[in-house]
Amino acid sequence: MSEAIMLDPDVGFIKDVRALGGGDLKKCYQCATCSVVCPISPENKPFPRKEMIAASWGLKDKLVSSADIWLCHNCGDCNTRCPRDAKPGDALGAIRAYAVSEYAGPKALGKLVRDKSKLPVLLAIPAAIFLVVGLLSNMVGLNWLNFSPAGGHEIWGHSYINNYLVDIIMIPTFFFAVGTFALGLKRFIADMHANALAEGKTKQEKIDPAGFVQAFIKIIPTIFKHQKFDECTENKSRSTAHMMVLYSFIGLFIVTNCFFFAEWILHIEGPYSQINPVKWLGNIAGIALIVGGLLLLKNRLAKTDSVSSYWDWYLVGMVLALGVTGMGTELLRLAGLYTPMAIVYFLHLMAIWCLFAFTPFSKLAHLVYRTVAMAYAEYSGRGF
Amino acid sequence: MDKKYGVYICTGCGIGDALDIEALSGVADEEGLPVQTHPFLCSQAGVDIIKNDTEEKGINTMVIAACSRRVNFDTFRFVGSIVERVSLREGVVWSHPRDQFAALTADEKEDEANFDRVQMMAEDYLRMGMARVEKVDLPEAYQLETFSRKILVIGGGITGISAAIDAAKAGYEVTIVEKENQLGGQANNWRKQLPLSYPYDTTLAPTIADQIKELDNYANISVRTNTVVARLAGEPGNFTVTLKKPGEKIEFDVPYPLPDEMKVDEKGKELNAEQQHEKYLEYNEGRKDILKLDPNGEKFGAVVLAAGYKPYEPKDGEFAHLGFGELPDVVTNATFEAMAKTGRITRPSDGKNAESVVFIQSPGQDNDTDFEYAGAVTSLVALKQATYVREDYPDTGKAYVFYQHMRTPGLQENFYKSIQQDPGIFLTKGEVVGVSKNGAGLVVDARNTLLGENVKVKADLVVLGTGLVPATKNDPVINLAYRQGPSFRDNIDLFQGYCDSNFICFPYETQRTGIYAAGAIRRSMTMEESIEDASGAALKAIQCLESVNRGMAVHPRSGDLTYPDFFFQRCTQCKRCTEECPFGALDDDEKGTPKPNPARCRRCGTCMGACPERIIGFADYNIDSIGSQVKSVVVPSEDDYSEPPFRILGLVCENDAYPALDMLALKGLSYSADVRLIPVRCLGSVNVIWIKDALSQGMDGVFLLGCKHGDDYQCHFVKGSELASIRMKKIGEALASLALENERVAQFEVAIDEYDKIPQIINEFVESIETMGPNPFKGF
Repeated sequence: MSEAIMLDPDVGFIKDVRALGGGDLKKCYQCATCSVVCPISPENKPFPRKEMIAASWGLKDKLVSSADIWLCHNCGDCNTRCPRDAKPGDALGAIRAYAVSEYAGPKALGKLVRDKSKLPVLLAIPAAIFLVVGLLSNMVGLNWLNFSPAGGHEIWGHSYINNYLVDIIMIPTFFFAVGTFALGLKRFIADMHANALAEGKTKQEKIDPAGFVQAFIKIIPTIFKHQKFDECTENKSRSTAHMMVLYSFIGLFIVTNCFFFAEWILHIEGPYSQINPVKWLGNIAGIALIVGGLLLLKNRLAKTDSVSSYWDWYLVGMVLALGVTGMGTELLRLAGLYTPMAIVYFLHLMAIWCLFAFTPFSKLAHLVYRTVAMAYAEYSGRGF
Repeated sequence: MDKKYGVYICTGCGIGDALDIEALSGVADEEGLPVQTHPFLCSQAGVDIIKNDTEEKGINTMVIAACSRRVNFDTFRFVGSIVERVSLREGVVWSHPRDQFAALTADEKEDEANFDRVQMMAEDYLRMGMARVEKVDLPEAYQLETFSRKILVIGGGITGISAAIDAAKAGYEVTIVEKENQLGGQANNWRKQLPLSYPYDTTLAPTIADQIKELDNYANISVRTNTVVARLAGEPGNFTVTLKKPGEKIEFDVPYPLPDEMKVDEKGKELNAEQQHEKYLEYNEGRKDILKLDPNGEKFGAVVLAAGYKPYEPKDGEFAHLGFGELPDVVTNATFEAMAKTGRITRPSDGKNAESVVFIQSPGQDNDTDFEYAGAVTSLVALKQATYVREDYPDTGKAYVFYQHMRTPGLQENFYKSIQQDPGIFLTKGEVVGVSKNGAGLVVDARNTLLGENVKVKADLVVLGTGLVPATKNDPVINLAYRQGPSFRDNIDLFQGYCDSNFICFPYETQRTGIYAAGAIRRSMTMEESIEDASGAALKAIQCLESVNRGMAVHPRSGDLTYPDFFFQRCTQCKRCTEECPFGALDDDEKGTPKPNPARCRRCGTCMGACPERIIGFADYNIDSIGSQVKSVVVPSEDDYSEPPFRILGLVCENDAYPALDMLALKGLSYSADVRLIPVRCLGSVNVIWIKDALSQGMDGVFLLGCKHGDDYQCHFVKGSELASIRMKKIGEALASLALENERVAQFEVAIDEYDKIPQIINEFVESIETMGPNPFKGF
């Protein structure tokens, strides 16, 4: 047994986690059914039993720095089997939400993202930025915002909202997100390792970067094949939807990069031909994003024994907004309905900005944290 | 009464197929008794035969050889007649099926050297039945000279109040005595109380004042506060009670037995009886002898003892590892409750707010037991008290409960669930290893917690979940004027001072007939449990009144009209009966002659088993009735057969062992056909003369089959099986002097559900006797 540690329960943490979807966590009476039924929990110090009591005791530091909360894929098997209806899966989801806001700075922004009532404010930010920068550009004669583009040239989004305007805003936003993640991860990895050492979950003394990268490479196929997700029983159906959304994002990321390269390096002007294979990829990914998003929605609505909080709905909404506005823009353009197209395109840009800016603070951050936690688990020999 | 006998043999249920009924009838014929057989004796037609015989021929003493006496009880009950039931079905044919115990073929019957063990068994049982009815009489009920229907309730807490109301509702007059100057007991000291009804999820403002007020609605309840019982004399239905003020010294204070340390002289040598008596008189100077009745005493018929508990007070140095005594901010739950009752929770050391409070439910020290006298109540109280911390400090208050057992039985689970929801209340199993000072506050160290590690918690105040000590622990309370002493004698050691006789099997019963315990005196209980318990004890008291007024026994031989009869001319004043009676039913006068109090008696017959002069007996159960049964068993010798079968007597407790034997028969199990079983009221009633009778007539072994004794005893009469085992050890010496092996007599313990073990017990004993060889006295 290790040295006795001084516990100082954080009542505020308990209240926050309850508000984030862990409302039932204090019903736990530590029978450990959850850890037994969990299909993906490791044998040594399995979750979520220990997380449940730590959460009941408000042990914030112990939980937010734990890799284990990220190893959980919210299968929901524990929720179904819990004899007290404490919903351990939901509690862990809520703890993850809390952890995300702990590691993403500035914390004030994280608070806005978590707060349902602040959604209009969040959406207003990109609208304001685009309008202000666009109007400024118009004042200095760059005319990046064009409310009635002249005919003659083929009309597309760029005709209304100049790609310069888009990229001058999007690129810094993207790097802001990357930077936020980088800062968060630096702390996260250090904390995670300290936590694993303290709780005897690792055999590694130090983090060796090369070994860590190797572990990272090793878990990539697991993630792409959704192997862990597929071990779930209750929420297995979510795996397909999740996979569709993940691949769509990857596809769209590739498409975006291709066209960025085409436009700024090769100076090939859009819109690009429908027979262009990159365009194919974009269309397929766009459709998959919408279908995947709808499936996510359907699954969540069907699953009445688990709690879906604003934290969850935000991500589903974001996916659908991206997909619908993206495909909408293209279809309206092809239909020649240019004014509606311009509006939808504007909304699409808002959505993308939100995606970039708020990802480190939203549920989508799990993309990064879970990946890193899984890589760490692999590296530390957690047997996950 | 003039006995007119009739023997009735049922041939149904397989009896007729397995046995030679003609030969069996011949056993009765030999004795000159009229015998009839019927294929379905328990049918209306069968019963009518017996009834007609009574009416037409005046038959009033029947031997019914059919099924066990434990079935068809009402069918074969003939008021005004002596009835003996010979168990041919369960006792012979079902437990000795012919596929294992083959009957003789026609050819085999020709040869007189052959014998049929099962047939022999049936014939012996019939003989034994016929022998018994000859020796027993119909009982005449014992009549109390004076009878009081009043119920005395000792203790005016919630239990006493509830018991009084329940008894009053049933129409009985009740007096409550309370030693404090107000009613309410411990409940007066609480800030909040545990829930009393569904949904059991929240604490209540104290309800005791309303409950006290309810007493005003009953004219037949009188309340005497500032009063205790000085002496309780007599017997159920006719108790004479002397009441007094607490602390007062009066002549009718009951004399106390001489403590052990006063029974020896300065050199540690035990004083002789006379010297001891002198010391006893000296010790109790100014107190009237127990047999002297207080002429001004009040009459009561039955007593409900609801004297409740005192909070445990740790001894000096106890729980030092938890800082108790040393650190002023470590307190017991009772002290904490008192603090909470008066105002906001603060630290006794400096009066500052106690915002972080740790509740410890087990003293630890490599032991996971809770504090003594704790239980579900102390778990629930810790949860209740945790809410005080949160009430007083809603934003900053933190309450921790470290427990080894969190017991919230029944729907009290809802209380646990609801308390658990509070974000400022933290629960974990764990062993607390120490409490130490940390600046102005404290630090609590715990091991093996559910948090998976050794943890420390800062605390302003530490509360120990100490228990509820029954009032009978250090004080007899009831102050009985009984020769065995003023308190519940034997169970003091068995049940940590709880006065119960066995709270699982026989709730409310004590070892003193007519005195029924309820509430925290029985075990640590919540108010809700105490209220329910009070009803049980009140009903028991009423049942007692409505039995003793008819001369009937109470539990466990409810309705028995017999009682022990003493032939005093032959009494040697050995006092064994007085001392061994599990219920203190006997007092003795100055000469030592026993004074029976039949209404106190439970009719177990322990006195009969104890009496070396064999002068104690019951109308239908006495030395001679059983002795004659033993003697009526035919013991074949080598004169009869070249290899005569063994004969082994089994004296079987009728409470658990005999039902178990019926069960094994029902389940198709079997045992040796060489044993002859006789049911006895209790192994305590077994007189060694029966064993000597059996052995001297050539039986090869004797065994006693009865209940477990010791800490987890199951004896219906508390001590019977234990006393029997002591007597069996002594009989060993007597056997040795007769050159008989000790092992020919044995006692076995069996629980009522262990029917499957009995065949092995019996068969192994029979085998061991066979190995020893036949009784050398056989044939003489």
